Amino acid sequence: MEDQILALTAEVAAIKGAAEVTNRMFAEAYYYITIPLMVLIHAGFLLYEMGATRLQNVLSSGVKNLLAFAFTIAAWYLFGWWFYWALPTWPLDFSAGAGYMEISGLEYANAISWAWGDSAQYMGPNMGDNASGVFWGAFALFAATTASIASGALIERIQTVGFVICAVVLGTAAWGIAAAWGWHADGWLVTKFGYHDFGAAGLVHAVAGFFALGVLINLGPRVGKFNADGSANHLAGHNMPLTVTGLMLIIVGFFGFLMACIILPGEGWSWYGDRATTIYGTPMTLSALAFNVPLAAAGGIIGAWVMTRDPFWMMSGCLAGIISVASGLDVYFGSTVIAVSMLAGIILKPCADWLEGLGIDDAVGCVTVHGTIGLFGLVMLGILGSGLPGLGAFAPEDTVALSLFGQIVGAVVMFLLGFVPGYVVSWLVDKAGMLRIPDEVQIKGLDAVKVPARAYPQGMASPESES
Amino acid sequence: MGYFAESFTELHNADGWMDMGMYIGAGSSAAGWWTVIATVMLVGVLIKGNSDEQDHYK
Repeated sequence: MEDQILALTAEVAAIKGAAEVTNRMFAEAYYYITIPLMVLIHAGFLLYEMGATRLQNVLSSGVKNLLAFAFTIAAWYLFGWWFYWALPTWPLDFSAGAGYMEISGLEYANAISWAWGDSAQYMGPNMGDNASGVFWGAFALFAATTASIASGALIERIQTVGFVICAVVLGTAAWGIAAAWGWHADGWLVTKFGYHDFGAAGLVHAVAGFFALGVLINLGPRVGKFNADGSANHLAGHNMPLTVTGLMLIIVGFFGFLMACIILPGEGWSWYGDRATTIYGTPMTLSALAFNVPLAAAGGIIGAWVMTRDPFWMMSGCLAGIISVASGLDVYFGSTVIAVSMLAGIILKPCADWLEGLGIDDAVGCVTVHGTIGLFGLVMLGILGSGLPGLGAFAPEDTVALSLFGQIVGAVVMFLLGFVPGYVVSWLVDKAGMLRIPDEVQIKGLDAVKVPARAYPQGMASPESES
Repeated sequence: MGYFAESFTELHNADGWMDMGMYIGAGSSAAGWWTVIATVMLVGVLIKGNSDEQDHYK
């Protein structure tokens, strides 16, 4: 009998061990798969941006977009990751101490996120750590996505290296701090204001959109965009099918982006053993995304179609629809998603026209799609979702619930975290003579001046380049 | 230079694999030096890239 109990105990231990291995490998593979899916966002931005560019500047826009991706990822490794872990409680705790969950603060960040000293063991292959790499990879793609969002607004007149500097600041400092404050269980926006932004409408989209606005003010419009009387000309991109297909690829990538916003169960870093959660520890399922993301895409397309009949704005509406409900994709009901995302699609074009009327040349509607609609989404969740507990079951008792006030505070913070760094860094870059491409070069065409290749060597002629 | 362990047996015990870096240079100052080299290369590329770009605009 005793032998049988011992054998059974050993068998149970073996089964438990095998289950742990399966769970660990599933979790690692789950986050790993989100990374190539998010690379599709960049494939989409590349097509989108080049398609929205006029023929004489196509490859220049491509080079700029690729470098934003490359430098942001490298910078995220060297110092961006540190911002996320170090600053959740700062500046409320000016010394940036650890929060309630004890996975934040200077000491913690210094121990895990620098690529030198003892912390280097968590910034490379590790014998016993299946999590750090895949989390870092997913966050690196979040960072690169944030930087690429701003890229499209600035096409055809921003210098390459000046833009790279702006993109690195956006993808590391601006986004890293936004995520630390509003997308971390110890973040002060979460613990003190109940800020809820599951799919990063504020801390990715609004930050990127308003960073772009700050840069646009210093950068100025493309040559020929505005007439002497202030009226605007439409500078059509050279390839609408490329742009629209790119936007659809971005939507495909969003599924990976949103997958990566979920914390899986059953691991040492999980909130629960049996339930997936948001990054705040509030329970959710992948099914919530399966319902709500396609519905949001559909609502946004339809809303924009009502207003414009234009495929560019319909696909922008698709993006806007998802962004408008991104904050609450974990808790919205499907019909609510249809209504809110349609509304986002409807207001999109008028908001973009209003911005253009102020003399801002946003080449792809980035400030409106990502910035304005991002803030719209944060506030809508405040109106519709007040009372949602701010954190999961193991949170401190004084955790603040979601409220309209908290979401508005979050919206203001995200606006400032985008706009202020965008304006300041582009002002400095401008003072260094590295921001705006001279007007005569814009007129001649950027590809002819600085790209050792032609976009369509045997195809479409570019009168400006040939001249 | 070179890999830090001659055998993986010493890195595996009853609790499984040890929680430690398993990259070339783990446990030494190599990671930090490679980080310095990578940073210098990235900054150097930006400086050279900007210099070339300004030449295009002259």
